[in-house]
Amino acid sequence: MALTELNFEFTPKEPKELNDEWGHVGIVSSGDLEILIEKGNAYKGKASFHILTTVVGFDNVWETVLGRLVDKTGLSGVKVSINDNAATPAVVKRRLQQAIENGGGLQ
Amino acid sequence: MRMDWEELQEKSFYRSSARERAYGIVDPGTFREFLGPRDKMYSPHLVILGEAVEFDDGIVVGVGKIDKHPVFVISQEGNFVGGALGEINGAKMAYMYKIALKCYEAMKEKYGTVPEDRKPLVVVSYDSGGVRLHESNAGLVAHSECMEALWKLQNKVPNISITGSSLGAYGAQGFVCMSGDVVLANDYGRIGLTGPDVIQQEVGKDEFDASDRALIWRTMGARSKYILGDVDYLLKDTIKEFREKVKELADMSMSDISKHRHLGSPELVEDNLELVKIAAELKIDDSKDLWEYYGNENLDELPEMPQEEFLKVAKRRPRRGM
Repeated sequence: MALTELNFEFTPKEPKELNDEWGHVGIVSSGDLEILIEKGNAYKGKASFHILTTVVGFDNVWETVLGRLVDKTGLSGVKVSINDNAATPAVVKRRLQQAIENGGGLQ
Repeated sequence: MRMDWEELQEKSFYRSSARERAYGIVDPGTFREFLGPRDKMYSPHLVILGEAVEFDDGIVVGVGKIDKHPVFVISQEGNFVGGALGEINGAKMAYMYKIALKCYEAMKEKYGTVPEDRKPLVVVSYDSGGVRLHESNAGLVAHSECMEALWKLQNKVPNISITGSSLGAYGAQGFVCMSGDVVLANDYGRIGLTGPDVIQQEVGKDEFDASDRALIWRTMGARSKYILGDVDYLLKDTIKEFREKVKELADMSMSDISKHRHLGSPELVEDNLELVKIAAELKIDDSKDLWEYYGNENLDELPEMPQEEFLKVAKRRPRRGM
């Protein structure tokens, strides 16, 4: 069984741009994930997520966790690539915050 | 991507990720990663098998500088698939050796000789269980490519092995680690061919009890390896300590560095066989017996005492030319 691929796009109400070109955090060990945030002109005003995960059937949870964080922080103008190895929602949220921090924070 | 070099220096080597080790082991701001996360070159085999992938495939490679030396860094990430060698990360590793040799040859062609203060070197931070079984043949090919490249580097480009991360250097990577010119370790370093569980499974609990952690450490751990001469320098557990030792070694002449070697000449094979002979004749069944043979006392305290004290009291196997 191949990896599950998920794609989401969110448009925050108050969009904020990332300070640096890119940010990266995390190691894909069991129960953890890796997040790569890259700025791109094609994503103006929105945050595009591309997820590769080993877990099946949690599409709604992903959408809720990521959607809320994007809305709260205003993360936009970026493509976010995630490699996941069964991380819990709390870990996902924390890593995404760290990834934004690693990319210099939001303007 | 931000990486605070100053902060890394005081950080525990053991607790650092592969990328942190790679950035911290060279001079500030000099590390350039090849095929980093943004290149997204991950294992196609793992995707098919439904296993999690990582953008750097579990290895960080690149080039940095220490003074005027170009330093080719290979840093393995043990938390991803046990740091094991697959097709992509294995190729990344093997090609770093090849690039280092190319750099050496290009310098030689341009300047006639490679000046001592500018000679390139390879630093490898091991954190691996061996070959990735999901892509076994590809991993083994990468391993043999590494060994071939290492052979060509001999007496040209210093190759420094570091073991000090959670997994140590096991399986195929145990080979490669010991083939380095100099082996550095902190107290968490481990080198072995077959891991404890596999030995127990294959030969039985009487041979090796994999649940006995003290036994594992005194057989495969850095302190025992230091006494027996497999580890050349035992260091404190900060990235700074390792960087400073690498810097010190970088300024040594190639012939002095080669004296540290553990493998690769008929004399060294003889030395290693001598050790096997001693072990057989004295019917050694625990590393402690060997430590005693080389003149150590307080055998039960050696693995426990603070490192500074250990370095003062430990008596080591005498080595030829050292």
